[in-house]
Amino acid sequence: MTGDAPLTAPATGRRLLEAHGLVLAYDGRPVLSGVTFAVHEGEFWFLLGRNGSGKTTLLHAIVGMVPARAGRLWLAPEIASRERLGFVPQHCELRRALPMTVREFVLLGTVNSRSGRRDDAERLEWALAHVGLAGMSRRDYWSLSGGERQRALVARALVRRPSFLALDEPTANLDPGSEHGLVHLLADLNRAERLTLLVVTHDLAMAARHASHLALATEGRLVVGAREEILAPGTLARVFGVEVQVAPCP
Amino acid sequence: MPVIVEEFLATWPLFQHAYLAGWTLAGLLAAIGVLVVARDQIFIGAAVSQASICGIAIALELGDRLGHRGLPWLRHEQVLSALAVLSSGMAALATTRWGKGRRLSHEALTGWIYLFGASAAILVVAHSPHGLEEVHRLLSSSIIGASAVDVALFAALALVTAGTLALTHRRLLLVTIDPPMAAALGLHVPRWSAAISLWLGLAVGLGIRVTGVLFTFGCLVLPPLIARNLCREARPMFLVAPGVAVITALGGFVAAHHWDYPPAQMTVAVLCGLLVASTWWPRSTE
Repeated sequence: MTGDAPLTAPATGRRLLEAHGLVLAYDGRPVLSGVTFAVHEGEFWFLLGRNGSGKTTLLHAIVGMVPARAGRLWLAPEIASRERLGFVPQHCELRRALPMTVREFVLLGTVNSRSGRRDDAERLEWALAHVGLAGMSRRDYWSLSGGERQRALVARALVRRPSFLALDEPTANLDPGSEHGLVHLLADLNRAERLTLLVVTHDLAMAARHASHLALATEGRLVVGAREEILAPGTLARVFGVEVQVAPCP
Repeated sequence: MPVIVEEFLATWPLFQHAYLAGWTLAGLLAAIGVLVVARDQIFIGAAVSQASICGIAIALELGDRLGHRGLPWLRHEQVLSALAVLSSGMAALATTRWGKGRRLSHEALTGWIYLFGASAAILVVAHSPHGLEEVHRLLSSSIIGASAVDVALFAALALVTAGTLALTHRRLLLVTIDPPMAAALGLHVPRWSAAISLWLGLAVGLGIRVTGVLFTFGCLVLPPLIARNLCREARPMFLVAPGVAVITALGGFVAAHHWDYPPAQMTVAVLCGLLVASTWWPRSTE
């Protein structure tokens, strides 16, 4: 089932993204085909699937890092221009070769945006406050803990004041406390700022707890469906090859 | 005025172009070197410099063999510069565009370029006494010859570099230290990386003929490494590194003249000392 399947919550906001019959490949190997779905303003999407199922490739296609082989990917103008697009990569490949404060790191997220210097200062303050790093702008980025660095990564995406935020396994390598904090931060941003989120994750409990919409990458297709359907034990057992029971996190 | 400075100024009419070229290049290379250090691929500087010498050796040999056979233009200084820039540009591009997952690692390719450039430069001019002497001069970084045109060219390059850094330093940093994020924000990373490499190749290729390998490589990497120890952020490094390079080259040239030492070696030795000293500089982490 793709595309027209019933969703967990009905679309209420403006359409931000629409994929139709998208075919994606990684290193010349086709990973996903016939990808059809639409994302609307204020929705909280979770993209699930096994390792190598094409989740990250789809995310990279949406943020413009991977070209589609076929099909159509429509993005709202402010997303297509990257002006209101935020992206949190799975790994920050930042090389530790240079000194860097949290401020400088987060402001790297303003590259290619039309913000001025005064705007930058306000956006920086806003982004740091939202991720719980207020007052830490002068801190050495390299002195931050893993959880704080992950928050700084989110702040770097938020500093563009995005309307659409794409995150690739944002809770990987975080301890349970940091993971809990980050997930609730994302949920708060979705509720309070009406920020649209698309999160690639293996954390089924997190998806069960917060998703307004779910998609499952499996066998070269993207299955979009209702929470009960995607997270049904039978579906998960077929996809992951083991019995999985999802208990939503508190 | 101290005697040491007076003595130095007395040589000004004779060597002013060499001095000015050396100082300008020191600042220019140090500014570009921040991006080399940011990539954490410092040895690229040595490899690109060595490739540049190889280009000059080829130009010298071509001039010797064909210069008196109806192609006198091959002996022109511009041909030396052009082949130096071509070689260093190709070397810098090769190291930049070398992707992950190849059988030869990036470090191995850089080492290969260095070793090939070093051996080929000598082999090409091995039977030409003039060429061999010139290559040895460049390898030992003897700063003796620069013209007013060289000084103007380096000053123009330095100005363009300063302007470009002022306008695009954040993009350059992002492309250099976090290419995937730069791509996600809409920057064409291969194009930006190629532009950085070509600029590095141009500066090294043009500078190497005047200042030689040691001074070029030293000014490319040592001032940014010193600035890294002194600064809390990357952005001020673009000012601190050229500042350190120019001030050290100024002092190095004056001291070298007073104690009768070669200026390039003196400058690089002082920079090495400053790098060690800078590791003790306290850098607050708040």
